[in-house]
Amino acid sequence: MKTVNHSGVLLRTTLIVASTAAVLLAACAAAPVKPAGAAEARSKLTQLQSDPNLANRAPLAIKEAEAAVRAAEQPQADNELAAHRVYLADRKVETARAQAETRLAEDQRAALSAQRESARLAARTREADVAKSQVATARAESAEQRLAAEQQAAELQRQIDALQAKVTDRGLVLTLGDVLFETGKADLNAGAAGSLNKLVTFLNKYPDRMVAIEGHTDSVGSDEYNQQLSQRRAESVRSYLVRQGIGSERLTTLGKGESDPIAGNDSATGRQQNRRVEVVISNAPALR
Amino acid sequence: MLTACASTPPAPTASLQSARRAISNAERADAGQYAAGELGEARIKLASADTAVTEKNMIMAERLAEESRAEAELASAKTAAGKAKAVNEEMQRSTDTLIEEMRRSSGEKP
Repeated sequence: MKTVNHSGVLLRTTLIVASTAAVLLAACAAAPVKPAGAAEARSKLTQLQSDPNLANRAPLAIKEAEAAVRAAEQPQADNELAAHRVYLADRKVETARAQAETRLAEDQRAALSAQRESARLAARTREADVAKSQVATARAESAEQRLAAEQQAAELQRQIDALQAKVTDRGLVLTLGDVLFETGKADLNAGAAGSLNKLVTFLNKYPDRMVAIEGHTDSVGSDEYNQQLSQRRAESVRSYLVRQGIGSERLTTLGKGESDPIAGNDSATGRQQNRRVEVVISNAPALR
Repeated sequence: MLTACASTPPAPTASLQSARRAISNAERADAGQYAAGELGEARIKLASADTAVTEKNMIMAERLAEESRAEAELASAKTAAGKAKAVNEEMQRSTDTLIEEMRRSSGEKP
C-alpha cells in the first residue's frame, strides 16, 4: 500500500517536473485501469438516466452524480482515493435516484388526487341513487300496503254483507230471529243452519274476533222464565258454533230476558221482533 | 517535499461542518425512520473523521467528512422519497377503499 502510494506521488511529481515522461508513466502505471467499483456506479447512473420516469426529474443531482462517476472512473494509483471517489459517486447516484423518485411521486399525486376525487364523486352519486331507489321502493311498498288494506276492507264488507250483519258501535250485530227457534224452546230449528253457517265462515276468516251471544225475549211470561229462556237460547247458539269448530274461548253468552226490547210488546209483530238472539262480533283490534 | 506537506495540513474544518450540517438536516427530516442505515453510516463516518483529525491524518479526515456528508445527503433524499411514496400509497389506498365499498354496496343491490 505504502509503496504504491509513494510511487503514485513520485509519478505525479515526475509528471509535473517532466512532461516528457509519458513512456515512463505507461511503464510504471501498469495498474491505472478504472478503479474497482467505478463500473458499478456508472451502470447505476446509466440505469437512472435511461429510466423515462426518472431521467428528467432530478437534473441537478444527476449532473452532480455524472461528475462524481466521471471522477471515480479516472485511473487512480492511490487506491484509497480511488475507493473514496467510488464511494462518493455511488452515494451521489443513489441520492439523484431518490430525488428523482421523490419528484415522480409528487408529480403522480395530481393524478392520484383526481382519481380519488372521481371515486369519491362516484361513491356519492351512487349513495344518492341508492337513497333515491330506497325512497321509490318504500313508496311502492306503502302503495302496495294501502292497496292490500283497501282490498281487505272491501273483502270484510263483502263478508259483512253476506252475513247480513249490522255495523254498530258494539261491533257487528247479527240478529237471529225467533223463527230460528222452536216455539217457546231453546232448540234451534233446521232453518237456523243457513244463518249460523255464514257466521261460522266469517269467524273462521277473522279468528281474532270475539263473540258475545245475547238472548232476548218478549214480555210475556215471568221475568225469571224469560231470563232463563234467553240464556238457554244463547247457550244453544254457542254450542252450535263450538260444534262447528269455533274456539269456546272466543264465545260468551248472556241471557237478557225481556230487559232489552227492540220493538213494542203490545203487538204480535213487536213481540216476535223482541224474541231474538243477537250475536255481537267485536270489532277487530286493528280496525278503526 | 513529502514531509513538508504532511507536517502542516490544516484540519478540514469546512468539510467537517458540512457533514455535521447534512447529518442534522437528515435528523430533522426524520431520516431515523426512513433511512436509518444511511444516517447511522453518516454518523460513523463523521466520528471517524474526528478521530482522524486528532491523529493528524487530515487527508483521511477530509475524505471521511465528505463521505459522511454524501451519506447524510443520501439519507435525506431517501427520507423525502419514502415520505412522498407513503403519501401516494395512502391516497391510492383510500381511492381503492372507496371503489371497493362502492362495488360491495352495488353487489348488495338485487
